[in-house]
Amino acid sequence: MEKVHIDTLIHSNPKEIGRIYNDNRDSFLFFGKKYGLDYDDLTDIYQEAFIALRNHALNGKLNEVNSSLKTYLFGIGKFMIYDLLKERKKTTSYEPNFHIQDGINTVLYENEQDDLSIQQHLLKKYFPKLGKKCQEMLTLFYSRGLSIDDIVEHSNYTSNSVVRSQKSRCIKTLKEMIKS
Amino acid sequence: MDKNILIEKHLQNNLSSKERLVFDELLKEDSTFKKEVTFQLDLKKVATHVDADNFKNLIATLENKNSSKTTSKRPFIKWMAAASVILLVGLSYMLMPQQKMSNDTIFTSYFTPYKNVVAPIVRGENNQDGKTAAFLAYEKEDYELAVTLFTELYTDTKEPFYLFYKANALLKLERVEEAVPLLIDHLKTKGVLTQKTNWYLALAYLKLNETEKAKELLEKIITNNSYHNKKANELLEKME
Repeated sequence: MEKVHIDTLIHSNPKEIGRIYNDNRDSFLFFGKKYGLDYDDLTDIYQEAFIALRNHALNGKLNEVNSSLKTYLFGIGKFMIYDLLKERKKTTSYEPNFHIQDGINTVLYENEQDDLSIQQHLLKKYFPKLGKKCQEMLTLFYSRGLSIDDIVEHSNYTSNSVVRSQKSRCIKTLKEMIKS
Repeated sequence: MDKNILIEKHLQNNLSSKERLVFDELLKEDSTFKKEVTFQLDLKKVATHVDADNFKNLIATLENKNSSKTTSKRPFIKWMAAASVILLVGLSYMLMPQQKMSNDTIFTSYFTPYKNVVAPIVRGENNQDGKTAAFLAYEKEDYELAVTLFTELYTDTKEPFYLFYKANALLKLERVEEAVPLLIDHLKTKGVLTQKTNWYLALAYLKLNETEKAKELLEKIITNNSYHNKKANELLEKME
């Protein structure tokens, strides 16, 4: 997959994300229609698949992918469509058509439901109370996995040491908020 | 070797084998170091959660813009329901900008009976078994009849999803006190719909003004990323 797409997903620039989201939306809804799902189901699945796509970008899975963003996104969507059809099959006599040939390979997606500990809940409560700069810095490092060098490149900070000291100031503030 | 750099490299999966040995040793011997590692691992998890929540909100906003352009594609009843919610929420904001929304208003704005995924009704087909009749009543919004039929079907079959749909019908009829025990029972089962139950139970508690119980469930929904977690987040904000 093109690196520019992976970076867009990771950094989640609203304008760029909006473009990719809208560019593929209608053709996904058309693609999904043949599985007999309605508009509401398919828009739900499309949103979930898009969120899953970003998770794959964040955990590095997309770096190994040769197919285009669209094919991969549809693969996740197809996996989710099957999942929903299977769920409904358990409770109905409705027989979904599982054998549609459309050239899209399903992409496995596991929703990792991880509970937060009490300490993590506390952190989550105070995290949004940090200043914007701190939130950005901590997001880049801890969530998006950028190295200190990447952050220097990605921001207005002038050097590694400036980034490191800013980061430790942010952590200190967060710790103080929790203590008080 | 700088301890902070070691933690930094550990978080990025970048420790050399020599550094790994030092890191593991410190973890065993140095309790302050261990505490700091735990804190930063927690922070990593939380920052990831917050980032994911923000992304989900962005996607929801994009989809809302799209859906509002294409509402005509939606079935009429759903469109009406969506419109009334928007109108109601909009009006509430216009009329009482400084006030919190009442629990009743929140309930009306957020509650929609869960769609029938159990027995899809094919129009024109004359299949009159009890299950189809019950779900047909449900889809036609004849909730009184649906409640009666779901009760009979549950007594006969003990299928948990009847509890869930009966509770939904009761909520729509505002017979909330009757719906709550059914939802609690449904939570104890392991059907495919169980992960959706907390959302309806939270709304039911809200309607009964049992705000703390409602909040607790909404927080659980958000933490577990389960059904309607975005709405749960929205709702909690409105309640605070």
